[in-house]
This record gives sequence, C-alpha cells and structure tokens, in this order.
Amino acid sequence: MVELNLEHYSITPKLSEIKWKEEVSDQLLQKQIALKKHLINQFQERIQEIRIGFKTLGICWNSNFSLEEVQNCIRHIEQLQAFPALSEKVWKIPVCYDGEYSRDLFALAKSKNLTAQELIHLHSSNPYRLHFYGFLPGFMYLQGLHNKLHSPRKSIPEMEVPAGSVAIGGSQTGIYPSSSPGGWYIIGQTPIKFFDPHKVPPVWAEPGDKVQFMPITEEEFLRLKKNPESYFEDE
Amino acid sequence: MNKRTSYFTILKSGPGTSIQDLGRIGFGQYGIPVSGAMDVTSMKWVNHLLKNSENDAVLEVSQPGFKIKFEYPTTICIAGAKSLISINDRTVASEGLLSIDYGDVLEIGPISLGARIYLGIKNGIDIPYTLDSKSSYSGITKLGMLNKGNQISFSSDQSILPFYRAKVKFPRDWMETKEIEVYPGAEWKELKKEAQSQILNTSFTISNQQNRMAFQLEERIPNELEELATAPVYPGTVQLTSGGKLIILMKDAQVTGGYPRILQLSEYSISQLAQKRPNDKITFILKEIIF
Repeated sequence: MVELNLEHYSITPKLSEIKWKEEVSDQLLQKQIALKKHLINQFQERIQEIRIGFKTLGICWNSNFSLEEVQNCIRHIEQLQAFPALSEKVWKIPVCYDGEYSRDLFALAKSKNLTAQELIHLHSSNPYRLHFYGFLPGFMYLQGLHNKLHSPRKSIPEMEVPAGSVAIGGSQTGIYPSSSPGGWYIIGQTPIKFFDPHKVPPVWAEPGDKVQFMPITEEEFLRLKKNPESYFEDE
Repeated sequence: MNKRTSYFTILKSGPGTSIQDLGRIGFGQYGIPVSGAMDVTSMKWVNHLLKNSENDAVLEVSQPGFKIKFEYPTTICIAGAKSLISINDRTVASEGLLSIDYGDVLEIGPISLGARIYLGIKNGIDIPYTLDSKSSYSGITKLGMLNKGNQISFSSDQSILPFYRAKVKFPRDWMETKEIEVYPGAEWKELKKEAQSQILNTSFTISNQQNRMAFQLEERIPNELEELATAPVYPGTVQLTSGGKLIILMKDAQVTGGYPRILQLSEYSISQLAQKRPNDKITFILKEIIF
C-alpha cells in the first residue's frame, strides 16, 4: 500500500474534500487536474462540481457518496508513475505599467531597492502558472512571482481597485477582473477582459495554462481598451 | 393557453431587494458566487404553492417600505418573514396565494418576524438566464440589486385565474429557533479542545455586518490556527479570522478563502440563519455525518 500524503474527508452528506500535505507545485497541480478528470469520468452526473484550491480539491455531490469509492480514485491517481503534463499554452497579457495605471509601482520598487524598470522586468520576464479561479469572477490564482517581489499586503485595503489592475500581494501577483476593494500593490493595468458572463465557460484560460505579462505603451493600452476583443482576434 | 408577457414596476424599495432562483450551480470553478435565495426553504414553498418549477425566479425583499404595481393580472404567493402586507391599502395575509388584478399595488410594511420575504409569481419572473441562473449579481446580470423604477417581466397565464382563498399555513417556528445545526468544517479538528467547546457553548450575537455575502458574529474565539493556502469555501462555511471573529459565508460569498473553515451549515441551517436579524442570538449544535 502506498502511504498517501493527503487526507480525504466528508464535510456534509453532499460535500467532501481532499487536502494534500505537500507544498504548492506544478507536480501537485498535475495531480489535482488528473484526479479531477478521473473523478468526473468515474462519477459523471453524481458530481455537481469540482473546485480546486492550492492544496485542496472540493467535490460537490448531487447524490450521496461513500468515502471508499472516492478513496479508490485517489489511490489510482497517487499510484501513477507519471501524470499528464501541464499545458504548454502561454497567454500573453498586455499590461501598461505607466503613469496613472501603476499608482504603487514607484513606492514598491523603492521599498525593494529596485528601479521601476527592474521591477517591471522581474514581473514580466517569466510566465506564471494558473492554478485555479477564486476571489472574484475570473480572478486567477497564479504561482511564480519572483522572491524579490514578495510584499506583505497593505495594512488598510483600498476601497476601490480599478478593473484590470495588475497587482502584487504576499507571494502572489494577480489581475482584478472587476473593480473591487483590495489590499494589493497596484503596478499596472491590462485593457483586456478576463470574464464574460455571456460565454460558457466565462473565462478563456484553463487551470494548468501559463500567463505572461507583456509591457505595452499607454497608446497601445488605449487602443486595446476601446476594442478589447480585438486582442485575441489578432493572435 | 393564452400566454403573454407582462410586468410589474417597483414604486419603492429599500436596499436588499433582488431576483433569486436556486443560483449558479457549477460556476464556482470560474470564481463565480453561487447566489440564489438566502432562504431556500421559503422560496421553494412559494414555488410549490404556485405549482411553479422549483427553480423559478422569485423576489427576495429584506427591507420594509417595498411597493410594486402589477400591470397585468396574475397569481402571487408570499412566504418567509412575517410582515404587514397590503394590496391597494387593504391588509392581506402575510403568507400564501393572492390574486392580482390590473394595476394592483402591493406594499410590504414592517417586518415582525424573520428578515427576508419571498414573493413568487405564477410561472416565475421572466428575465434572461445568465450562466444558467436569473439570480441578481452585479457584474453578471444586467440588473444588479433592484431599485425604484425597475420594470420586471413575468409571463402571465390568464387560464389560471380562479380567485384563490385557499388557507394554507406557512409555519414559522423553524425560523425562530436559536439552535443552528452545523457539520464540523475542514479545519475543525485542528482547533484545540478548549476552543471547540467554547464555540459550542457560546451564545453568539448576529452583528450589524450581515448581508447576502456573509454574516459576522460579535463574540470572539481565541484563534491559534494559521491561515490556509487559498481553498474552496461554500455558502454556509464558517470561517475563523486571525482576529478570532466568526464569519458565516452566505449565498453571494466569494468561492475561495484563506481563513480556517471551522464549521459548515447545511442548506436548511442557511435558511434559518437567513431569517435572523442583527442582535439575534444563535448557538451551534454539532452534527456528525452518519453514512
């Protein structure tokens, strides 16, 4: 028997969760995605929805379930020698790091002993892995922020962070898909849309995909802002 | 069947009036709140009496001083909180079926028991589905919360207009109970025994910080748990903040969170809580799952 590095428990008769005792990584995400697919194949309509977190996978059931049935699926996945590789897709996100769009950029760079240019370079030179959505409709939980850019959240959150703001908070970077109160440092803004309630699915990137920020000028920002749909058509 | 679309106009409304069905099921994976009626028990009762489908959209009203004018005859049904209800200034029963004629004005006055009133219409409210639901949510549905002047369509069906005088009892004792049944949450067992027993032996007070997203409780519990790597949360999840505050997530809550998830309410417990008002007291009764 394999010693499993996870726990599986039921919360209500229609809700169960798996929690891993390992660090957040691409390997763990591979396992989570593989398990999600396997569970949906096994249980089909008996499952209403599966949601993942950094170290968790929650299952909402349409019917009653037994922990044993799920345990078999978990064992099947944990015993695999190799998991299906994560997507190679990299979505390029245009970001204007200038002027009014980056209200906290200079202060944050200064606190890190970096120039604004160095901070932008560190933020935009490597892609980030999309693990899951949460917080706001279409908000991506991304991993891969350079250590030098980790920054504790603001002690007093701002009442309104504009939609499209690209920000840094703790060990994460993210994009506010809609305006919202928020405590992260705003370093830029993207003109493109991350969420469309009239499309199914309402988002365009899938967990496992990568996103990379691409600095653009204010002129380009304003052009895309007028017609955000054109960005994906040009690709 | 002579079906035609008609509408009602909102003449007056406090904050907190919305259209709700059973919510956006299956979209949490994209960061979208479930939404839907806060008190599903009352909402389903309304649809059941109207012989509607279970998921038909109804109005959820959480403030007195609500007034609407129907521009077409229909049958409506009211349940949930007990309030003073009148049609054309004539007081009517605060629950059950009511016949509506052209131009009837319905008004909801002071609430004497509970917190949320459900007003259903024969065949439901007729607005487009967004992500499989009609539930109001700013940024997802065209209309966010409802306001004075909004005109809302319903599909009227004149073939169902015998005058209803059926006396049906809508029991409200379940919304008065202070005891809320809960399941242990994902992080419950990580709490120290003393903290667990303190949570189960405290009479908690609902704070003024309560809306469709969450209910905060006044009393604090010493918290030694660390925050989590962001994890899924659901309506009814009880979070324990680093400051020791308890937050009960409700229907419009975010779908992920980092606070330890100490308890989980069932759908029925969420209905009970949805009918509580600031300063009401609740105690948690722990329930174990039996398979």
